[in-house]
Amino acid sequence: MKTLAQHISEISPARAFRPVAVFVPWVVCVLLALAVHFVSPLLVNEYWESVLQRMGVFIVAAVSLNIVNGFTGQFSMGHAGFMAIGGYIGAGVTYYGSLILHGSVGDPNFAVQGTLLMLAGLVAGACTAAGAGYLVGLPSLRLRGDYLAIVTLGFGEIIRVLLELTPKQVSDAAAVKASPIVSFFGFNGATGFAGTPAYANLFWIWLFVAITCVIAYRMKTSSSGRAFLSIREDEIAARAMGVDLTKYKVRAFVLAAFFGGVAGALYSHTGVNPSPTDAGFQRSFDIIIMVVLGGLGSVSGSVLAAMILVLMPELLRDLQQYRLVLYALLLIVMMLVRPKGLFGVKEIWDLSRGDRKQPVGKGGTP
Amino acid sequence: MSFLLDAQGIGITFGGLKAVQDLTVQLPAGVLYGLIGPNGAGKTTAFNLITGVYTPQTGSVKLAGQTINGLRPHQIAKAGLSRTFQNIRLFGELSVLENVMLGSHVRGTHRLLATLLRTPGFVAQEEAMKRRAMELLAIFDLARMADEQAKNLPYGDQRRLEICRALATEPKVLLLDEPAAGMNPSEKKSLSNTIREIRDRFGLAVLLIEHDMGLVMEICEQITVLDHGQVISVGTPKQVQADPKVIEAYLGVEGSGEPSGEVSHA
Ligand SMILES: Nc1ncnc2c1ncn2[C@@H]1O[C@H](COP(=O)(O)OP(=O)(O)O)[C@@H](O)[C@H]1O
Ligand SMILES: [Mg+2]
Repeated sequence: MKTLAQHISEISPARAFRPVAVFVPWVVCVLLALAVHFVSPLLVNEYWESVLQRMGVFIVAAVSLNIVNGFTGQFSMGHAGFMAIGGYIGAGVTYYGSLILHGSVGDPNFAVQGTLLMLAGLVAGACTAAGAGYLVGLPSLRLRGDYLAIVTLGFGEIIRVLLELTPKQVSDAAAVKASPIVSFFGFNGATGFAGTPAYANLFWIWLFVAITCVIAYRMKTSSSGRAFLSIREDEIAARAMGVDLTKYKVRAFVLAAFFGGVAGALYSHTGVNPSPTDAGFQRSFDIIIMVVLGGLGSVSGSVLAAMILVLMPELLRDLQQYRLVLYALLLIVMMLVRPKGLFGVKEIWDLSRGDRKQPVGKGGTP
Repeated sequence: MSFLLDAQGIGITFGGLKAVQDLTVQLPAGVLYGLIGPNGAGKTTAFNLITGVYTPQTGSVKLAGQTINGLRPHQIAKAGLSRTFQNIRLFGELSVLENVMLGSHVRGTHRLLATLLRTPGFVAQEEAMKRRAMELLAIFDLARMADEQAKNLPYGDQRRLEICRALATEPKVLLLDEPAAGMNPSEKKSLSNTIREIRDRFGLAVLLIEHDMGLVMEICEQITVLDHGQVISVGTPKQVQADPKVIEAYLGVEGSGEPSGEVSHA
């Protein structure tokens, strides 16, 4: 039998802080976004570019929802509500901001300022969504399972109804300047908010895809992330080990809502008009399926599942009338073959390391 | 004399059932203290009262002079009390290493920005947590399984991993709820050595619930016996074993005059 000192001598020495590992991901984010932006027009037509945009938006939505549903194990069914908040506020800032600052919306000469407005709106929308996430997160402390699902579902529906009640859109610059705050809530009721310029090109969308993924993964592989996961695995054990359930559940909701808001704000700048149904159950359910299919807790799984589920309807378009049937069938087969989703809680690159069941792993020794 | 853990007259009633009544347990530093009693005596409930899962309806609990009754479980963990569970509660999908690292969580700082930017402070803390977790795993001879999912470990290893995780919270007092349950004799032997070893190494006080009388009598210096939620005997293993009330309490369960073997439990 080995002595303790022998054991400890085998443990890898403390790894120093490596700036490369810390900064490289951000550089990669920008490079990836630039690559998608400049390469894809060479390969695909405008229609497929719009598919790539939608894909990016849903990757951000799925990865962010995974923080709550996957990491923390709290079943939220209202993610579309957060997306809609971000989407409307983002669109509102760009639209009404353009009217106030420039007198018109979508002028090509105003594109740079417009893009800055979009980014400001994105931050404002994401922060508002995060605030809503805080409010929705609070009941998660007392509600379990089905009840939390119902509350979050209700949240999405409330947002939808509130959006339907918003006053008419104001398109007259003078009227907006006269009463900017009142005008700002002119989200045009059930018809939906039209006319937001499509400033969110592939670069911006895929930049935020990359940022969201890096952040979600860094969250997962940190002490905070382990706190999230421990809550999902066993709340009683988690709090007995010193995890503040309140703090971490709310933190998960706030983070998820923030990036849900980012996804929504990006989406409303792709030429797709935000409408109240965007906050509804249908959209929330689409995102949940992506998270479940990818694997609850797997960032790369969510990315891949979002890609598949955005692409599938497009690829099956030729089969028109069988499209929905095939779509459903594929999901059912997936659930049967891999009930924990594509990757479970693991990441794609964990799978290549092979079966972990071998009794003597390399763990612990350098 | 001042006690490290001082529970005074704690009690709780569940809809008429007095699960624990007027229980006083006092642990000096470095003691190995046993809490025994037949099934349903209220031992686990006593742990739940001390660790804040239930708030004691009567009495008070002090840890190193700090009143902890009324605090929430995570605050009590932070104050320096840690535990294991009778029915193992590991984080099954997480790796063995991650389970133990989660134990260190309560001793760290977790700023959002530092986490997302991976600041030098954050990286240093992660590495320190990892190193400490590996040291603990080495003590329990679990280091070679660090990357296994916790749920894939054999039963006995899961129990030991739970102790390991509890130690990672750097407790002053460790509460073990039937750590030897389901272990074979040789595992039990090494477990009792380990419990002694960690007590000596970390200078902990250990409060032990255990059904294996052999193990309790061998390693505990003081014992409190519960029956029907009430203390029926307190003393050294010798005194307790000779107490007629203890023999009576165990009679129906074991059918022998002396509580020496393993008491069966459902
Ligand atoms: N949350 C609860 N609600 C109602 N009764 C409980 C609860 N927890 C424990 N009890 C009861 O209290 C008694 C003591 O249980 P317990 O502390 O688990 O006994 P043991 O000594 O075997 O660990 C049992 O009769 C049990 O049914
Ligand atoms: Mg018990």
